[in-house]
Amino acid sequence: MKNAEYTREHLLYLKGLKRKTVFVQFLRVATLLLLLGFWELAATLEWVNPFITSSPSRIAKTIVDLYESGSLFYHVGTTLWETLAGFAIAVILGVLIALLLWWSDLLRRVLEPYIVVLNALPKIALGPLIIIWCGTGSKAIVFMTVIIGLIVCILNMLNGFLATDENKILLLKSMGATKLQILSKLVIPSALPNFISMLKINVGMAWIGSIMGEYIVSKAGIGYLIVYGGQVFKLDLVMSAVFILCVLAAAMYAAVALLEKRLIKNQR
Amino acid sequence: MKEVLRFENVSMHYHSKQGETVAVKDMNFSVRQGEFVAIIGPSGCGKTTLLSLAAGLLTPTEGKVVNDGVSFGYMLQKDELFPWRTIEKNIFLPLEIKRTNTPENKKRAVELAEKYGLKQFLKSYPSSLSGGMRQRAALIRTLALNPDVLLLDEPFSALDYQTRLSVCDDVYNIIMSEKKTTLLITHDISEAISVADRIFVLSKRPATVLAEHTVSFKETEPLKRRENEQFSKWFEVLWGELNA
Repeated sequence: MKNAEYTREHLLYLKGLKRKTVFVQFLRVATLLLLLGFWELAATLEWVNPFITSSPSRIAKTIVDLYESGSLFYHVGTTLWETLAGFAIAVILGVLIALLLWWSDLLRRVLEPYIVVLNALPKIALGPLIIIWCGTGSKAIVFMTVIIGLIVCILNMLNGFLATDENKILLLKSMGATKLQILSKLVIPSALPNFISMLKINVGMAWIGSIMGEYIVSKAGIGYLIVYGGQVFKLDLVMSAVFILCVLAAAMYAAVALLEKRLIKNQR
Repeated sequence: MKEVLRFENVSMHYHSKQGETVAVKDMNFSVRQGEFVAIIGPSGCGKTTLLSLAAGLLTPTEGKVVNDGVSFGYMLQKDELFPWRTIEKNIFLPLEIKRTNTPENKKRAVELAEKYGLKQFLKSYPSSLSGGMRQRAALIRTLALNPDVLLLDEPFSALDYQTRLSVCDDVYNIIMSEKKTTLLITHDISEAISVADRIFVLSKRPATVLAEHTVSFKETEPLKRRENEQFSKWFEVLWGELNA
């Protein structure tokens, strides 16, 4: 319908909706500014010890210093690369394994207990092993990111594949479809929402993996800055690194949300 | 008339941990070319099993299903249109599965859709269609392969009463003008009377044929049959047999 066809009441209603959205946006920004302002004030007036709590201005200064010394993009780049590589490998490998488990009932039944145990296992316990297997470079961190994301990816996708509507499978079978056709025409497209929600979960997992990996073994990266900052008691550095992390994680999540919008336009 | 489908002493057993279930027992019936046959039975009597047997998706434990050289089109309770495909792409689905999606076949399918009032919806997604229109699209999808026999598994039961009556009329008219042989399975007695030439009544599980009736009305269209005085007589007869 076009705007011209709406009644006056409906136009008012739409206007009200829009106004409310704007108001929510405004409150969001206001909350952030208020918090930052209060934090800054508390630190400047020394209600709290700024050495321990840091402050927005000190964080800004630390980031600028990092930038001027040329190491900001080095650290951000290192962590970003490790995270994205781990994320991509976990997703691709996870989807492939989930497909395999969907295809073979036998394989799924045999492997089920192992997957459950691996899912419950805190992957950080493998830290020492990873260092010995992969050394102390980026490889170890990517490996950590992959094992943290992989099982979650397998379980989510497998659930999606197995939840395919039985009646639609019956319909395809009645048309004489092969198992491969059922997979490509029905099972994969209908698991698209699962794929998107799995990506969203795995964005978080990938950051956990890369930061945790950097805690254990690293010479560079945001996780390294956090550990180093803690050890030498430069809490400004820790806070700055956490802030950068927030921005990066939010950006990656936004990218997935954008992908979702493009992929799922017409479903229901 | 030539028989296109025949069940000869067909029995079907299901096995599960809890034991063995006999779903269908000693079933005998046949469908002749051009006929509209309805099978009615109480809920859970193995109706869907019967259609799967007819279509060759299941192999009977005993007996024989004879359907040599006949192709089947299946229509289910819900339309089962794929929500990520447009109506047009949904209608092409069986062609893709059979790898016969040639330009001619696609054109034929589109013409069929246009003939039965789906022209304006071809590029729409199923979510923007009404229940009746979606079921019509599902029928056109079934017809896209030009099957010899249509198997309808309670195709109207997911619709509300008003829509059900008009969609039933609609589907009946399309089937008649395409001259298809049809086997309808339903638990709805009045639906069966309003469309069928012949009706088989099934028993409770294990399902077997209790009675066979040849139904003839002056009128053919479902809605007009419903107004005929014979309609309620048939209803009483079938009701009695189903609840015996």
